[in-house]
Amino acid sequence: MKLKHIFLIFFCLTLAACQSSTITTEVSPGDLVDDQSVSEEQVDLYVFAAASMTETMTEIAELYKAQNPNVNVIFTFDSSGTLKTQIQEGAVADIFISAAQKQMNQLEVGNEANTEGLDFVKSETRINLVENKVVLVVPARNPAGVSVFADMTKEDVKKIALGNQDVPVGQYSEELLKNLGIWEEIQPKITFGSNVKEVTTWVSSGSVDCGIVYSTDAFSAGLEVVDTATNELIKTPIIYPAAVLKTSSHPEIALDFLSFLHSDEAKTILQKVGFAIP
Amino acid sequence: MDWFPLWNSLRVAAISTVIIFLLGILFAWKIAKLPKVIKATIDVILTLPLVLPPTVVGYFLLKSLSPNSVLGGFLLETFEVRIIMQWYAAIFSSVIVAFPLMYRTARGAFESFDPDLRSAGQTLGLSNIKIFWIIVMPTCKQGIIAGTVLAFARALGEYGATSMVAGYTPKQTATISTTVYQLWRIGDDALALRWVLINLAISAVFLIIINTVEKRTKQTTVQQSQVFTNAIR
Repeated sequence: MKLKHIFLIFFCLTLAACQSSTITTEVSPGDLVDDQSVSEEQVDLYVFAAASMTETMTEIAELYKAQNPNVNVIFTFDSSGTLKTQIQEGAVADIFISAAQKQMNQLEVGNEANTEGLDFVKSETRINLVENKVVLVVPARNPAGVSVFADMTKEDVKKIALGNQDVPVGQYSEELLKNLGIWEEIQPKITFGSNVKEVTTWVSSGSVDCGIVYSTDAFSAGLEVVDTATNELIKTPIIYPAAVLKTSSHPEIALDFLSFLHSDEAKTILQKVGFAIP
Repeated sequence: MDWFPLWNSLRVAAISTVIIFLLGILFAWKIAKLPKVIKATIDVILTLPLVLPPTVVGYFLLKSLSPNSVLGGFLLETFEVRIIMQWYAAIFSSVIVAFPLMYRTARGAFESFDPDLRSAGQTLGLSNIKIFWIIVMPTCKQGIIAGTVLAFARALGEYGATSMVAGYTPKQTATISTTVYQLWRIGDDALALRWVLINLAISAVFLIIINTVEKRTKQTTVQQSQVFTNAIR
């Protein structure tokens, strides 16, 4: 085969690869019978959700898709701080679900936390979706013998995984550890992750002696929980707000999906992994 | 300002480069002499880290070195040594991703080495090791230096695999690359920019030094014969 033929084939393959579109889920058999769709044309709904909602949101979206076959829910899961920055920088998103009030507040006009004059949230659609708990988890066989948060100062505990200050669970952890009075002491042992799933993976793989994540992440990853933060240790309520964004191209469909998150089917899925409904 | 990332990046890159230098020339020299098929296969394996995304390399490293793995678990139980989430874990990742650069460059240099010079050395009774260090190496100096420079530069700039196996602990495992990433994530643009400029400055200075050294080591054929003649005296 001549060299130029090889080049041509590679060029075509590269072009083909570049054409790949965003993920579109398959149409399920159920939708031929049930037709509760809000509109007829194929719609892509972009939902930015906190990383801790990965498993539950994916499952809920599948249910929604079965009832509304023309709507493709496309998720971006990451730390709420990163998502807030992406929305601020102009990312295409219809709905934002944050793991803390802080990030949603920063995007809502008129809110005192909003120091940058941002206006992205449709305030009338904002709801408190779920409540979560912050827990201390350990890898299998708990090699450092950790049983409470205060054990982090022990000699045997050499590495602790936490979310960094951009991540809500990192912010909750800092509050908790400062209230316990051990935040400064354990600084040299902390490795900071950029979202809660990274922290969870470090604990699961045994790379660290313990980590602080949400109870829902501990459940989904099958990690042993040794201690749970009380309302005394974390005074900020761990509530996940959700809202439709002003930049949404399909606000009615977005609102419909948001209402679906309130439905009994959605609540069952959320409560199964440990979320509480406020 | 916390200067630890600079010190850590330089020390990781320096140690990695020494390891890569020795391993690189060892493999390049031995493999250059192997039959074609075996050479091609080993070549693919050794060059693989060059084309793999660093996160793939990081994934493999984590699976092989974490306390749950065979090697990692053994080290933890026998010596109570944990090799990930420490600053020296970055050496593993830097060596693996930068090794192919040294290996390929050195191999290219060795393959273009005139075998007659070697034969001549043998007829004059020099041992293989002496032939290698006083005839082969000086003759291939340019290729070796080029490979070493590339390897050091790559090791200094390693991010993906390093962040996975060393994590990010300020003043303990932070490198310039992981620090810039974390600073960007938490929105500290001013400090992130400062580190970016520091990195640019180091890289620029480094390349200038190398260019100067390269010019001086450019040898003509006459000079190559000179080296050889001097060596066997």
